[in-house]
Amino acid sequence: MSGGPPKALPSTGPQSLRDMPHPLAGSSSEEAVGGDSTPSPDLLTARSFGDKDLILPNGGTPAGTASPASSSSLLNRLQLDDDMDGETRDLFVTVDDPKKHVCTMETYITYRITTKSTRVEFDLPEYSVRRRYQDFDWLRNKLEESQPTHLIPPLPEKFVVKGVVDRFSEEFVETRRKALDKFLKRITDHPVLSFNEHFNVFLTAKDLNAHKKQGMALLTRVGESVKHVAGGYKLRNRPLEFAAIGEYLDTFALKLGTIDRIAQRIIKEEIEYLVELREYGPVYSTWSALEGELAEPLEGVSACIGNCSTALEELTDDMTEDFLPVLREYILYSDSMKSVLKKRDQVQAEYETKLEAVALKKEERPKVPADVEKCQDRMECFNADLKADMERWQNNKRQDFRQLLMGMADKNIQYYEKCLMAWESIIPLLQEKQEAKDDSVEKKGRNAKNSEHTVLTHRISSFVTELSLLIKASDWVPHVHLSRQRSPRQVILGSLEAGVSRQTLPTRLCGRLAHSLRPSLQSRMLLEGGKGDAFSPVGTTPG
Amino acid sequence: MTENNFSLKKIEISVSEAEKRTGRNAMNMQETYTAYLIETRSVEHNDGQSVLTDSLWRRYSEFELLRNYLLVYYPHIVVPPLPEKRAEFVWHKLSADNMDPDFVERRRIGLENFLLRVASHPMLCRDKIFYLFLTQEGNWKETVNETGFQLKADSRLKALNATFRVKNPDKRFIELKHYSDELQSVISHLLRVRARVADRLYGVYKVHGNYGRVFSEWSAIEKEMGDGLQSAGHHMDVYASSIDDILEDEEHYADQLKEYLFYAEALRAVCRKHELMQYDLEMAAQDLASKKQQCEELATGTVRTFSLKGMTTKLFGQETPEQREARIKMLEEQIKEGEQQLKSKNLEGREFVRNAWADIERFKEQKNHDLKEALISYAVMQISMCKKGIQVWTNAKECFSKM
Repeated sequence: MSGGPPKALPSTGPQSLRDMPHPLAGSSSEEAVGGDSTPSPDLLTARSFGDKDLILPNGGTPAGTASPASSSSLLNRLQLDDDMDGETRDLFVTVDDPKKHVCTMETYITYRITTKSTRVEFDLPEYSVRRRYQDFDWLRNKLEESQPTHLIPPLPEKFVVKGVVDRFSEEFVETRRKALDKFLKRITDHPVLSFNEHFNVFLTAKDLNAHKKQGMALLTRVGESVKHVAGGYKLRNRPLEFAAIGEYLDTFALKLGTIDRIAQRIIKEEIEYLVELREYGPVYSTWSALEGELAEPLEGVSACIGNCSTALEELTDDMTEDFLPVLREYILYSDSMKSVLKKRDQVQAEYETKLEAVALKKEERPKVPADVEKCQDRMECFNADLKADMERWQNNKRQDFRQLLMGMADKNIQYYEKCLMAWESIIPLLQEKQEAKDDSVEKKGRNAKNSEHTVLTHRISSFVTELSLLIKASDWVPHVHLSRQRSPRQVILGSLEAGVSRQTLPTRLCGRLAHSLRPSLQSRMLLEGGKGDAFSPVGTTPG
Repeated sequence: MTENNFSLKKIEISVSEAEKRTGRNAMNMQETYTAYLIETRSVEHNDGQSVLTDSLWRRYSEFELLRNYLLVYYPHIVVPPLPEKRAEFVWHKLSADNMDPDFVERRRIGLENFLLRVASHPMLCRDKIFYLFLTQEGNWKETVNETGFQLKADSRLKALNATFRVKNPDKRFIELKHYSDELQSVISHLLRVRARVADRLYGVYKVHGNYGRVFSEWSAIEKEMGDGLQSAGHHMDVYASSIDDILEDEEHYADQLKEYLFYAEALRAVCRKHELMQYDLEMAAQDLASKKQQCEELATGTVRTFSLKGMTTKLFGQETPEQREARIKMLEEQIKEGEQQLKSKNLEGREFVRNAWADIERFKEQKNHDLKEALISYAVMQISMCKKGIQVWTNAKECFSKM
């Protein structure tokens, strides 16, 4: 809903700009002041946000009528949109349905672009067109040309090393589709860019190539003026906030680069791990073929490792397709942002230089010459647009990375969950057989001593297993320092004899426990002539 | 459990410590070795208290001596193996150095396991030399050597490649030998690949540690995202360091497999002993048969087969009837002896087969049981690893969600 009074104009914010007199300060332009003055009430009631009335049918910001700050005030009021849910949006764009086209000259992929909108700028409520990467590239260039004061989202990389990546593979096409979809959605969400006429044409025109040839000449006033900014002026005083943005972007890009390298390294290590796993699993199968009673357990382990291998492969594929490309996109984004910052510097430099030149002329004119005013205009517009865009960029970046990193965590969780399921499912398989076997041993009626021994051994071993399971499954923090006097085995035996609860036994001892406890218990049982009562495992149901 | 003179009734054996020692070896050169403390406790019936009865230090070579002795005196038993002499199947982080504390620790456990296995074997536990090994520190080596077991040892068994052309081997032993060969081969392969798997897994976990550092650095330039990133980075560090314990536990599993790798060798030794006995038996039978034939020929005067005596007789004339009588008598005696020997060898052979097979059955059950246990504990380890992984990533995800 239309919230409280809109924020103060970005252009009046930065202190450094305050030093320079705004030529249009105090004008009657409604946008210069806080939210009281709004366009005609009837237009307001027609929609939730009156700001859109400022937009003329031919799209883009009004040419020549409103003040140079108009685009920023637009942003200003439209920024309230960001917090709204999708229901109040009036433009939806989707990229899907990639298709391969084979022609005599070349083979390429097109994507279907579906647009739904209630905006006046669109003749029809719905459009569906087909576009290829070239067209996206064209659109981006046009946006950069016509909206040089804004941050244009990046496209996925244009060139693909032939032979290394198959540009018609399902994975590659899907990765690209997602990136192109993101690209259009970012434009859609932008309060200024989404009204750009080139964008409109891109979404609606049946034959884009015809339009490309026509070469749309309409540029915003600001756009045009900025386009003709001459370079070569030296910048005196970069405003703090833009200096900070520049520094931030430098460090940001650096850190992203590092993360990209780490992620790639992890994937590489995981793939090498996968290769070894794919050899490891089958060896258990080979072994299984030699055995009788152990055949099923070994085969089970082999299958389990196979399942884990598959899960790992899925993880590496996901990371390659979903994680890395988004990371790279942001690196490209920050690169393009830095060049916009440079342009801003140039605009400011031109203004400062011209201003200085005027001051030096020592003419007594109170008024500043028109072209210097124009320069100041340009600069302040640029600053305002850029500042607003930076804020929205920071916000989106936070959400994007939040989603990206949570996604990475999710994929890893899913991988471990799949493996966990696989291993948990074979435990009963391994244990069941053992009990069945021991039952049959008892039924065979071997001499009493042997069967008693077997039963005891079984009880001990299942106790050990249960114990191991519990310890492993608990969150027990390891490392209990044992005195030199007693070995871990002795400590455990001691605690078991004392009837100590399972859960107080340290994890670290578990391996040794499982390893060394069994034979010792067995030997004790044997040597004690089967008198197991002197020692009763905690918690096991007595024979 | 049969009573015996040596009061092994209620004893608890442990190899509780390992210590580096220096001493002089047989060639009077300084050497460093590790000594292991063996403690024997007897457990009182009533209160379950254990009293230390013996404690002495032994080094690995003495264990080897004990085992070699057992191999000779109990050829029909699948003698429990010792832990490996040198570290094999290592992956890069593990040291192959015999003095490395981790190796020494795992060897300590292996030696204890060996003693417990011997102590729990129905026949081996009664052996006097074994008892002395646990109780008599000084002079034990001399005592063992006095048994003269080295002389008893058949050097032919040492020649691994020697094949004895046996006409009538017990089929079960042939199958068993084949099985032990295959088992050795498959477990070696398994251990090799497992070591590589461990290596790779180590790499995967450790690289994640880099995230910790970069997240920390990145969080410094962020406002709202900073805290979330920083704490997620910490979890990545935890993740990276968790692999050390995981892989150390897995080494125990590898040790369990190794024990059976070496057991396969012991199994094969029993098969070869059978082969050798059978060979001797067949040779003796052959020898007896030829003597009988010789005797017969001499008695009847017919020469059915070529013999040197026959030739020389033809060339140099027949021997005197007295000479012939003497020879026949000698042969008859030899035949009688030979028949006795053959009978006893046969008996011995059959006894051996019976005893060996009983122990092999015992061994098979033990093997199936132990390996199943090992697989279960391995699965438990994997489950634990998965749970830890889920926990860490869930924590990290929560941190990310707070960004």
